[in-house]
Amino acid sequence: MIRYMKLYYLFCKQNLKVMMEYRMDFLLGVLSVMLQQFAGIFFVKIVFDHIHELNGWTFYEILFIYGIAATGRSIHHIFFDNLWTLGWQYIRPGKFDRLLIRPINPLFHFIADRLQQDGFGQLFIGIIVLGTAMPHLDISWGFMEYFILVIMIIASGFIFVAVNLFFATLSFWMVDSLPIVWTIFNLSDFARYPLTIYHKGIQHLLTWIIPYGFTAFYPAAYFIKGSGFENLALLTPVIAIVSCALAYWFWNRGLKAFTSTGS
Amino acid sequence: MRKYIEFARVQMQVHAAYSAWFWANTFSVLLRMFVIYFFWRAVYSNRSEIESLSFDGMITYIIIAMFLQMFVSGVGRELAHTIKDGNVAIELMRPYHLITRLIAMDIGDKVIYFIRGALPLGILAFVFMDVTLPATWQSGILFLLSALMGIWIGTFFDLLIAILAFWTINLWGLEVMKEAVVSFFSGALVPLILFPEWFQTVSLFLPFQAMVYVPVAIYTGILTGTEAWLAVGSQIIWAVLLFGLLRVLWSVAMKKVTIFGG
Repeated sequence: MIRYMKLYYLFCKQNLKVMMEYRMDFLLGVLSVMLQQFAGIFFVKIVFDHIHELNGWTFYEILFIYGIAATGRSIHHIFFDNLWTLGWQYIRPGKFDRLLIRPINPLFHFIADRLQQDGFGQLFIGIIVLGTAMPHLDISWGFMEYFILVIMIIASGFIFVAVNLFFATLSFWMVDSLPIVWTIFNLSDFARYPLTIYHKGIQHLLTWIIPYGFTAFYPAAYFIKGSGFENLALLTPVIAIVSCALAYWFWNRGLKAFTSTGS
Repeated sequence: MRKYIEFARVQMQVHAAYSAWFWANTFSVLLRMFVIYFFWRAVYSNRSEIESLSFDGMITYIIIAMFLQMFVSGVGRELAHTIKDGNVAIELMRPYHLITRLIAMDIGDKVIYFIRGALPLGILAFVFMDVTLPATWQSGILFLLSALMGIWIGTFFDLLIAILAFWTINLWGLEVMKEAVVSFFSGALVPLILFPEWFQTVSLFLPFQAMVYVPVAIYTGILTGTEAWLAVGSQIIWAVLLFGLLRVLWSVAMKKVTIFGG
């Protein structure tokens, strides 16, 4: 474990050097992701200039959901962004075999290979949005509340990771599963708004099958009094752990299938 | 001319070959339509109109705008890649004009996307999502004209940004930024009449609303009569302006290439 932490530190240092070499890229990337996020929030603001509540949810509640989604997703974006590239940058050009002969866990190596600087833009925006929304919610913020919020955000990030890992793993069988990963990832757009506005079928899908509901809506609902989802929200960390375990199991299966065809 | 038509045709075949991406894209658009539909239905759950737009009017605007937005961009990425990997030097020696070729390929792309993607999804939206036809056939025709102008303006703007790759090398960040700015100022996300007054004034002086807002506002009857014609007039001005600007920037960039080439 300690060895892996040391290794990750070394990988990070390497990554940071690359980032600093292209400083302009770094700034542009962070800035543009911030702008992209900001556009989404501004959209909600414009709509709320004309209405007072959306299906019973106030502007700041929606903002709070948005903030959790953005912050959680930034964990995935900064540290696990390499998952996107499994098919076209590793398996197709044969670069993946290189990871297999190293004396470290190939998944660890694959993920540590890249740190995505643009994710920091998302992190900033997420924190700003949370900071804006939190004082307007009907809740007194004590240590316990902050603690739960942080746990929820980390869980949210890992649900994103689990879903992407699961579908990226399909690349072991079909060379490049990027179109599938991308399509599934787009489902997370649903999660930026209260799930209650959707059809029941979509709600179930996003709760029990592709659990994006737990990346923003349920965690936010935990803090919003009278939302009716306080108990379900407590499942968030459990869902995160279970889905990561499932995705990791699937990854190992994929790895076996891959090596057996490669030799 | 013939060779450019050939480029467009070949591009259609290439497009048809990437079927996994095609289905992924179609499915994602469908998902986005769902999100939009449910979001706006919730917005309208206890009111009948916003800024004189009914629910049907709003959903029609948003969905038509979403489709149009997909057609106003795309060509820039190809140019940026060609510049980034250095192939531009070879491309420039070939017996065609690179920009014209890219536009021809882009047209090929868009025609096939229209037939395979936008049209079926559009019909779906008409049948299941309360999207309506234009009120009169005149506004329908003016919409088509205005939409073509919008696509033209979007394409040239896209190329302008892409040429910046000669200077910045990496374009991913700029592209994301452009996407965010365009989708906002162009009125692709919400009709500009919902924006605060100052924002509407600012966007009057930018080329973005000519890409999406003007055609879709004509379609949905937000702009009618003289207003509509004036808006189309401003589109023509932007189209000419951007075309000229592209030519200037391109020739500046070409000088830079020859300096590099020695």
